[in-house]
Amino acid sequence: MLNKSIHVKRPLGRKMLLWIGVPLLLIYIIIILFTYYWSGKNALYKMKEYLFELTEHHACMLDGKFTKVSQASIGIADALEELPIPNEDQLIDLMKKKLQDNKNIFGMAVAFEPHSYRRNINLFSPYVYRGDKEIVSVDLADSYNYMYLDWYQIPKLLGSSYWGEPYFDEGGGDILMTTFSEPIYKNDRCIGISTADISLDDLEGEMNNIRIMAGYTFIITRTGTFIYHPEKEYMMNESIFSLAEQYDQPDMRTIGKKMVSGERGVSTMNDFLTGEKKWLVYSPIPDCRWSFAAVIPEKEIMRTVHSMLLKQIFIMVVGLLIILLVIIWASVGITNPIRKLVVSVQKIAKGDLNEKILGIKGHDEINELVKAFNKMTYDLKHYISDLTTATKEKEAVESELRIARSIQESLLPRIFPPFPDTEDFDLYARNIPAKEVAGDFFDFFMLDKENLAVIIADVSGKGISAGLFMAVTRTLMKTVCVKDISPSEAMSKANYVLCQDNDACMFTTLFLAIYDIKTGKMSWTNAGHDEPIIISKDGSHRIIKTFKDIALGIDETHDYHEGEAQLEIEDIMVLYTDGVLEATSPEKELYGMKKFITILEKNYNKSLIKILDEVTTDLDGFQKDNQFDDITILLLKREK
Amino acid sequence: MKRFIIRIFFCIYLFYNILSADSQKNISIMVQWFPQAQFAGYIMADEMGFYNEAGMDVSIIFSDGSDSPLQEVLDKRVNFCTGWLSQAIMLRSQNIPIINICQVLQKSSLILVARKSSGITSPEDMKGKLVSNWGGDFSIQPTAFFRKAGLDIDIIPQSFRIDGFLVGAIDVTSAMYYNEYHKILQAGIDEEELVTFFFSDYDLNFPEDGIYCLEETYKNDPELCRDFTEASLKGWEYAFRNKKETLDIVMKYCREYHIQTNRSHQEWMLDAIESAVTYRVGDNLQNWGTLSKKDYETVAEELLRQDLIKSIPSFSTFFKDVFHAE
Repeated sequence: MLNKSIHVKRPLGRKMLLWIGVPLLLIYIIIILFTYYWSGKNALYKMKEYLFELTEHHACMLDGKFTKVSQASIGIADALEELPIPNEDQLIDLMKKKLQDNKNIFGMAVAFEPHSYRRNINLFSPYVYRGDKEIVSVDLADSYNYMYLDWYQIPKLLGSSYWGEPYFDEGGGDILMTTFSEPIYKNDRCIGISTADISLDDLEGEMNNIRIMAGYTFIITRTGTFIYHPEKEYMMNESIFSLAEQYDQPDMRTIGKKMVSGERGVSTMNDFLTGEKKWLVYSPIPDCRWSFAAVIPEKEIMRTVHSMLLKQIFIMVVGLLIILLVIIWASVGITNPIRKLVVSVQKIAKGDLNEKILGIKGHDEINELVKAFNKMTYDLKHYISDLTTATKEKEAVESELRIARSIQESLLPRIFPPFPDTEDFDLYARNIPAKEVAGDFFDFFMLDKENLAVIIADVSGKGISAGLFMAVTRTLMKTVCVKDISPSEAMSKANYVLCQDNDACMFTTLFLAIYDIKTGKMSWTNAGHDEPIIISKDGSHRIIKTFKDIALGIDETHDYHEGEAQLEIEDIMVLYTDGVLEATSPEKELYGMKKFITILEKNYNKSLIKILDEVTTDLDGFQKDNQFDDITILLLKREK
Repeated sequence: MKRFIIRIFFCIYLFYNILSADSQKNISIMVQWFPQAQFAGYIMADEMGFYNEAGMDVSIIFSDGSDSPLQEVLDKRVNFCTGWLSQAIMLRSQNIPIINICQVLQKSSLILVARKSSGITSPEDMKGKLVSNWGGDFSIQPTAFFRKAGLDIDIIPQSFRIDGFLVGAIDVTSAMYYNEYHKILQAGIDEEELVTFFFSDYDLNFPEDGIYCLEETYKNDPELCRDFTEASLKGWEYAFRNKKETLDIVMKYCREYHIQTNRSHQEWMLDAIESAVTYRVGDNLQNWGTLSKKDYETVAEELLRQDLIKSIPSFSTFFKDVFHAE
């Protein structure tokens, strides 16, 4: 894939994940932690309530069973209190009926106080119970004195109903029984006790069926004795307090005390055998004042709570994953076109302007960018194509110009000193061409043995035309300057020729001097050129004041004036073009006459080439790379 | 040949059995109640083979409360029995030839227990309160106790259980410190909630379990009496020094006899019995088993005062210190 070829140090997708995904992840984690904490608490609270209700439900079921039995006994007591004492048969029939009505009752008795049943009868206690085949009756007074047995004495002393502690009924085949006793009052005097026995034989079976969250249940009496416990050994042998003592669990004793006092509650405790943390939820069985309890391993409760929480957290995690996927998808959607763009831009950067970005759909900013980019590539391609053509053309012109310049330069005298044999004078000239072809030129030649023609000129305009005009002018000047001709005559002749067919209206300033090398006498004509400067041997200067006739090539009828000047020994005549005075600094300051004269005066006693070097250096330093006109300087020094 | 050898071995086995049966005297002792730590000494003496070492094959008979061990001794159905000093003195005063050959428990464990919440802190506070007692021998100390306190208390008969007290029907209950008192604790009532009255603290220390036999048993075979006593005391010593093992065995007996009890209760009982055995005499076996003449007189005088005996039997005829005899 293209994408993989790009190495991005910090990809946008990762940034998006970092900026959106990570904060989202943190928020999620915080939410999850809060959920875990609060939901956990809430779930535990709900679990506690649930267990409460469950144990209360079972306790109520048991209570209902006991209440039915106690109500039967209370019913008989009420009957005996309200009605005349029935005869023995009636009483036994009444109790038998109760037994028939209530399967839970194993036996019932009414035990009378001495002489309370009949004055002549001391103790009388008819007892009706379920025999092997049918309901039978006996008189307990025949067997023992019941007066001081708990089932009789305690309710009598308490003056209220009493559920006795369970016992194994030896006569009935070791059945676990418990007896309810209700005192019978007549005229505010206790005349006896009505009892009902309930068999707890099926209690174990019932209890074994109760399952509360992988835990177990137990029942203790009001003295803490286990009536039911899955550990059979505990039943009737151990109490919650005896276990607390044996396993040194004071907390368990505290719980036991709450349980026997009829409280409902939930406590945690460590299993005294395994050390496992367990919950103990207990509810009273009000009628008999026993307590029903469920013991559930905490890990079971926590597992239930955790599984609830895990479901919540799972949903949240799935949500988070979906969001992360969306972020990744979105980032891929954004970065893929960008990656394609990057690849294309890299290609374009390498010069492949034929590259076009394709396959990016949509109408978003990226797509606009792609469109703009494709347009840019297209424009760039065409521009470069145009530029190439233009450059080629320019190069061709420049090449011609270079040739023109070299031709032009070749026209100027190049050998210095030009007259090495003479000791009368010294001459040096230098042309510093501007970038374009310009029309400056100088020339000098001997007219005879004593007269030297010196020319400096500046053709108007620039370029090839100026160059050609200069070449023509130079050739012309060489032609017209013959022996014994005066400078004005030569100038007029040249002007006349140049004015002919000068359709381009070109002109040139020109200064022509004919110098007698023996006498130092010099005659001159000036066609609009800058006036020469003479530096004396003492370093002072003077400017040769000339008639400023018009430049050549303008007026064919013009008569040029002529002037004379005398060069003393060691005087230096300085001829120059306007390129010197009009040299411009980058600050748009002109070089000017003052600077020029200063540098000349400063170096007057040096050799001519040195003076030229100094001036050139000074000019270069002044105008930097800013030369736009030719600079031409010619120095003539009279030696003798 | 093979059969012949087997027959020879069988004969030798039978012969050995006959010999050993002859050498071991068959002895029986009856204790006052179901198996529990109260009788751990005899059980351990039997289990650890101390009786066998003394040349006896002892069977321990546990009373179910319906029979009297002393009567069984008188009827010669058992050789020895354990019994309360007061009971034995009463018999002796009727010239019944019963003698004490070892007073095992030195301190009376009979107490009265009340709830602090009932406002009882002294014997005087029991005035007008419901006090229960089992009657018989158990009532002698309470009767004396209330007489000394100048109280006329109508004591209510008490069943074997302490439920009346636990449910608040009775204010003051009688309890054996080693048994019922702990059962109260095991019903969830803390010691701090209770107030106890030890009769021994009121000059009414009636030593309880002692070993009794007929006078003729002693006369015929004083060595047997001494050996039996010594082995029994050794059993007690072993029981106190090896409580875990003793409790294992006691609990085994309890389960066999379907006694509704638990190990921590038996542990309490063993500790309490130990303190009753070592009371005043310390934990050196050599000092155990003697009947203090002072205790004897305390009990006898109180019995006389309560008109339960006509005269105090002679101490020397009543108690034979067989264990310390030369």
